[in-house]
Amino acid sequence: MKGLTYAGVTRDILRPLFKPSAAYLGLLTVSVSVMAWGGYCWWVQLVNGLGVGGYQPPVFWGVYITTFVFWIGIGHAGTLISAILFLFRSRWRTGVYRAAEAMTIFAVMTAALFPAIHVGRAWNAYWLFPYPNQRELWQNFKSPLMWDVFAVATYFSVSTIFFYIGLIPDLAVVRDKTSGIVHKMYAQLALGWRGTDRQWHHYLAAYGFFAAFATPLVLSVHSVVSWDFAMAQTMGWHSTLFPPYFVSGAIFSGCAMVITLMLPLSRIFDWDDYINVWHFESLAKMCLLTGSILTYAYATEHFIAWYSDNPYEWGLFTYRATGEDYSWVFATMVFCNCIAPLIWWKKSMRTNLAVLFVVSLIINVGMWFERYNIIASSLAHQYDPAAWVYYVPSWVELGILLGSFGWFFTWFLLFIKVMPAVAIAEVKELIRPPLMADEEAA
Amino acid sequence: MSAKTLTAVFGHLDCMVDAVDAVKRAGLVDFAATSPLPREDIEDVIYEGHPSPVRWFTMTGAIFGGTAGFSLCAFTHLNWPMIIPAGKPLVSIPPFLVITFEATILFGCLFTLLGLVAMCRLPGFGLQPELTDRRFSNDKFGLVVNGLSDAQVDTWKTTLATLGAQELVVTEADHA
Repeated sequence: MKGLTYAGVTRDILRPLFKPSAAYLGLLTVSVSVMAWGGYCWWVQLVNGLGVGGYQPPVFWGVYITTFVFWIGIGHAGTLISAILFLFRSRWRTGVYRAAEAMTIFAVMTAALFPAIHVGRAWNAYWLFPYPNQRELWQNFKSPLMWDVFAVATYFSVSTIFFYIGLIPDLAVVRDKTSGIVHKMYAQLALGWRGTDRQWHHYLAAYGFFAAFATPLVLSVHSVVSWDFAMAQTMGWHSTLFPPYFVSGAIFSGCAMVITLMLPLSRIFDWDDYINVWHFESLAKMCLLTGSILTYAYATEHFIAWYSDNPYEWGLFTYRATGEDYSWVFATMVFCNCIAPLIWWKKSMRTNLAVLFVVSLIINVGMWFERYNIIASSLAHQYDPAAWVYYVPSWVELGILLGSFGWFFTWFLLFIKVMPAVAIAEVKELIRPPLMADEEAA
Repeated sequence: MSAKTLTAVFGHLDCMVDAVDAVKRAGLVDFAATSPLPREDIEDVIYEGHPSPVRWFTMTGAIFGGTAGFSLCAFTHLNWPMIIPAGKPLVSIPPFLVITFEATILFGCLFTLLGLVAMCRLPGFGLQPELTDRRFSNDKFGLVVNGLSDAQVDTWKTTLATLGAQELVVTEADHA
């Protein structure tokens, strides 16, 4: 970051705001169209009922729950980068954390749609939350599904607070660089922030506490999601391995998604001074670490299934890997999550932007199939062979899955045009401050 | 004779830190320093030995949240006493710990937010005009000293200019 000045940082990071190019508008149109298609598919399901999905007894968790877990996992990298790496004073987080936090919020917003879509009668989704009612009927807090409601709601709330608090000083910068109605809007959003000593003093203290709270929260959320499965007496699910297995998978997929999103962004906006190979290589290293843990978890669950001498458990894991129904899903998962990322062990490959982008896409595909592998195969192949079925998603389910990407990318595209996607104040902390001593020495 | 406000604009961090130190050492208390980024060297000069009280909000919120989370689970299960198989007690600590943990985090954060808003006096739309210079969020540091007499203004203008102030503005308004 040599040669950068405070004014230069402000200018560079605010440059892409408010001026949509034709390419941007084209991307937004595609994204909104895909979202609209997903919305149409959901409407078809609301009108006709859950029967339009590919459910067949006993498989009642399919693409929707798979996609829910996928998006919750994607949402893990943002808070990990912004909170855990903040506490470790990791310098590379600064360039990417703002967009990663935004990604987290939009991913959790996307994920939160799926339980409502999955239960069919989405308008009754408020039944998930405890509220006093005339029958004095309450939720069962011993159910992992209720834990999940609290975990996801807390994660969304805390991530949003953390995101907004981090954004306030930068909103003040936008306010001071704009005029008219836009200025007034940002003045309200910045809450009158002026960067006084008093404000910074309390801000820094509060930010540290937010980071300290968000750190265990990141690790807990996907642990709780994993208990949705692990608490059930279902083959392939009932394992104490699940929490670390799910958390490592979530961070793996989340970091890959940060690469997928930030790499084009840094190229298009010419932000090489702020987001460059150093950041992407660090993210690739995170993927290598968490991907290795994930591969180890895959191996361990298969080993334990064999070592347990439980014929049902071992039968399921054999079916997953070699059965005619889902072996292609298993193979896709292993290739995408265990084999493809190995290329990043070579430095020249994890510093090659094209390779980084392609492998990050492969990981995203692989992590969706991992959840599909866990959910579909276990439910389709339970204890009673007479109840074995082959679950295939319907076009409605796949349409809603596709639409979720439209929903996510629409939010993200809107974000990068109205908010500083790189943290201005924190980037300024990384560069050498203007010093009279330096000028006198020169 | 009304008290005056002196606003000094600095382009260099070391000059700003020296100026804040000088003002602090002179015993002046009604001043504010602004910067476009958090600088611990400025904070240390002004607040050394005075940690932010936000931490008390945080602790209160966390304790309240944990208590409320566990109480919610216990109360609702006692209010709707489902007979759970396998001899599980109605109020069972292990499953309720998850909700307790989540509520601890949630309310800890909400109270921290409340503490931040209260201590920073946000929204800060009523701050004195001298602090609203647009350059202070971009690349300049500002030191605003209130409640100065005419003699003090002259002295501090000289002092701050010597310490590297690039611009000095005196205003009549008394914000003390």
